[in-house]
Amino acid sequence: MTTFGQLVFSGLLIGCIYALMSMGLTLIFGVLRIVNFAHGEFLMIAMYGAWAVTAFLGLNPYVAIVAVVPAMALFGVVVHQVVISPGVDKPHLVLVFATMGLSILMQNVALMFFSADLFDVPPMFDGQSVIIGPFFFKAELLLGFMIAVFCTISLRWTINSTYLGKAIRATVQDSEAAMLMGVPVPRIFMIAFASGSALVGLAACVMMPLFSVFPTVGLNFVLIAFVIVVLGGLGSIEGALLGGMCIGIVQSVSSYYIAPAYGQLFFFVLFLLVMIFRPEGLLGRKGESTVGIN
Amino acid sequence: MTILEVDRLMRSFGTLMAVAGVSFSIREGELVGLIGPNGAGKSTLYNLIAGAIAPTSGKIMFQNRSVAGWKPYHAARSGVARTFQIPKPYRKLSVVDNVALNALLHNKSMAAARRRAEAILADVGLADQAGNPSTILTVGELKRLEVARALALHPTLVLFDEIMAGLTRNEVVTMTALVASLPARGITVIWVEHVLYAIMNAAPRIMVLHRGELIADDSPENLVKNSTVIQAYFGEETTFA
Amino acid sequence: MSVTSKSTIETKPRRASPGRWWMKPGHGSVSWLELALLVACIALVVAPVPHSYQDVINITLLWGGVALSWNIAGGYAGLISFGHAAFFGIGAYTSTILLVNYGVSPWLGLWLGGIFAAAFGITLALIGARLRGPFFILSTLAAAEVVRIGALNWTSLTGGAEGLWITPTKSIANMVFASRSAYVALVLGYAIIVYLVSKAIERSRYGLVLFAVRDDEDAASAAGVNPLTARTGAMGLSAFLTAIGGSLFAQYFQFLDPTYVISPELSFQFALLAALGGLGTAIGPALGAIVIMPLSELLRSYLGAAFQGLHLAIYGGFLVFVMLYLPGGIASALERSTGRSKETP
Repeated sequence: MTTFGQLVFSGLLIGCIYALMSMGLTLIFGVLRIVNFAHGEFLMIAMYGAWAVTAFLGLNPYVAIVAVVPAMALFGVVVHQVVISPGVDKPHLVLVFATMGLSILMQNVALMFFSADLFDVPPMFDGQSVIIGPFFFKAELLLGFMIAVFCTISLRWTINSTYLGKAIRATVQDSEAAMLMGVPVPRIFMIAFASGSALVGLAACVMMPLFSVFPTVGLNFVLIAFVIVVLGGLGSIEGALLGGMCIGIVQSVSSYYIAPAYGQLFFFVLFLLVMIFRPEGLLGRKGESTVGIN
Repeated sequence: MTILEVDRLMRSFGTLMAVAGVSFSIREGELVGLIGPNGAGKSTLYNLIAGAIAPTSGKIMFQNRSVAGWKPYHAARSGVARTFQIPKPYRKLSVVDNVALNALLHNKSMAAARRRAEAILADVGLADQAGNPSTILTVGELKRLEVARALALHPTLVLFDEIMAGLTRNEVVTMTALVASLPARGITVIWVEHVLYAIMNAAPRIMVLHRGELIADDSPENLVKNSTVIQAYFGEETTFA
Repeated sequence: MSVTSKSTIETKPRRASPGRWWMKPGHGSVSWLELALLVACIALVVAPVPHSYQDVINITLLWGGVALSWNIAGGYAGLISFGHAAFFGIGAYTSTILLVNYGVSPWLGLWLGGIFAAAFGITLALIGARLRGPFFILSTLAAAEVVRIGALNWTSLTGGAEGLWITPTKSIANMVFASRSAYVALVLGYAIIVYLVSKAIERSRYGLVLFAVRDDEDAASAAGVNPLTARTGAMGLSAFLTAIGGSLFAQYFQFLDPTYVISPELSFQFALLAALGGLGTAIGPALGAIVIMPLSELLRSYLGAAFQGLHLAIYGGFLVFVMLYLPGGIASALERSTGRSKETP
């Protein structure tokens, strides 16, 4: 029984970290109504960034947050201005393919500069586990979980209590009306995209102690992120957290009891079931998926 | 013979009752106007009749068949055509192909469909735009394209939705003449319109919708004296000489 | 009844300015460019070409055919799919398993592969019946991943990660040829057939129905079209044709591995070739394959050694640029430069 409990709790923890990684995707979708197919590559270069700070400055990845998050925000601004903004008013397939092209570009630039080798950061706490009751948790896992939850709460507070948050909510509900009311919608788009990228940067720093980085690591994680945001409801921040927890648990339990390979299969099946029966996800707005995005 | 009968039709969106118990019947060959202030529920009523949405309760009978909740393509195949208030052209297709698709319902070959489409385009005055992409049409021309598409379906009942918007005075006159000619061709017309001078002069019977309810169903001459209607539009007692 | 007098309707005779991009289904007429391409392809097959080039030609033609198949769903019906590698793989594995385990000739096996893929495609379209935009795309991705993981783990059937080999006993019945040019001819035949199917769709009723459902589903529904049947039909046909390409691929390379054959990367490639070439026309995916595949091979051989990945980085950047500034792809650039539409009204 404790094995099952261990699996569930570890799954919960890693799931929240996955959620942190997916939060940027859902924020960008909620505000700009686009799916960034290069999301995994954003994570990838942020992870390389965290690795570089660790390897060359001798700091640990959590301290690297201070550098990586602003860098990713800036990167997000650049990508938004150059790639996203020209395509936002066009049919959605333009940005689907453009972000795909971006993902190919980024993967191969990474390949050129870093080669295909796997990079890791050295373990921080000498591999010690934290013991809570009958369960063992890696310290990095616990720390990542706490950061993820804290981030979700801060994000929710920002959206509810600040003017920027109000402007974002207005843009989400009706961007034309928001614009007419004086909300600088194009700037909100840019801010949302940059924030989404910054979130990815945060996630990368938290994930670096737990995973290796290599040029195509993005593809694995972006599929997980897609499943999470769809499960939670595209555009919902708490939904991403909830979806992440579900996915983490499903993956953890099925990998142990069935087979690691089948772990992935289960959450794709879960994804398809959600698409069939509740496409708006657990906490999403009804009708989004049928109305379509343009 | 009654072609369309609507009985206590209701449609709610959450707590909003968009159509709140509407009942009327329309005979074959009638030309009936449907007016009402914004938000009255006219578009919802059209969507219900044309099958785009299903009613919360109530009956819709088309040619004595119960059709509530049917799909738009069922409606089209049964002879009910509609225009869209905000025109929905096929952006990547030419003007003639926009109409030809609708003509395909009753014309088996592409060539026959295109010929019929060109004839109808001539009817609405878009003949010389036939080969052009639909993206270059003005709003007024797009409205006329909507009319052409509706007529291409060989309908028995047609639901026009604000087809006069964006037309010049002359164009309104010609389009009104076209609409008025339809009953003689065996097409029953329901006509939602905001351009009141056009509809008040052409339609012998006009229904007035307000906040989801039918508040009047009469001839234009009587309507202008109807205080409920006047109140709905102007909000206070006004008299016309 | 009809209003024919132009003087009472104020219509300004306006023609579309030449060079403005818009797409119209062709009327089945064949343009000079298409004829020229056909002649060039036949020449490439017939002429004695060094072996290293034959691989590229083969892949180009095969990928062209698959991109054209993808386009039937993605370009004509608006069903953008990032899961077509699943259909490709179903075709490849079906005909190969039938050949290797049961001695069934691939000429027969490819039909069965096509049917299985079509069934899967129809199922996908039904699952995604209410989904639009990125939701639909993601569900195609997920479905393909399910197929890939299934194939990877069902080792008794597919050989799993170790792959499946075709032992080459050369015979026409086995679709294993001694000469490479026979393969190239076969693949060219496939590409031409898919191209002709595309052109036939473009000029037919069915094509117009697909375009209408793509451009405005509500309006098409109000015109008497059942959007679901249109979409499932397009997906099924697209899957069928893609699967045949998969069978041909298996026969040429004689080795199948789910990690490549059913991969998202492959799915993206099919979609990208069609998008770069120009969605929604037959010439588009053909141009996409003909221009991009040899170019990327060229880039790889020149740059691949120096900087691993540079050629693909250029490819990615090019894609971004084209999608943002030339959304009609290479085909529309061609239209604009010749100053006129290839198809006449």
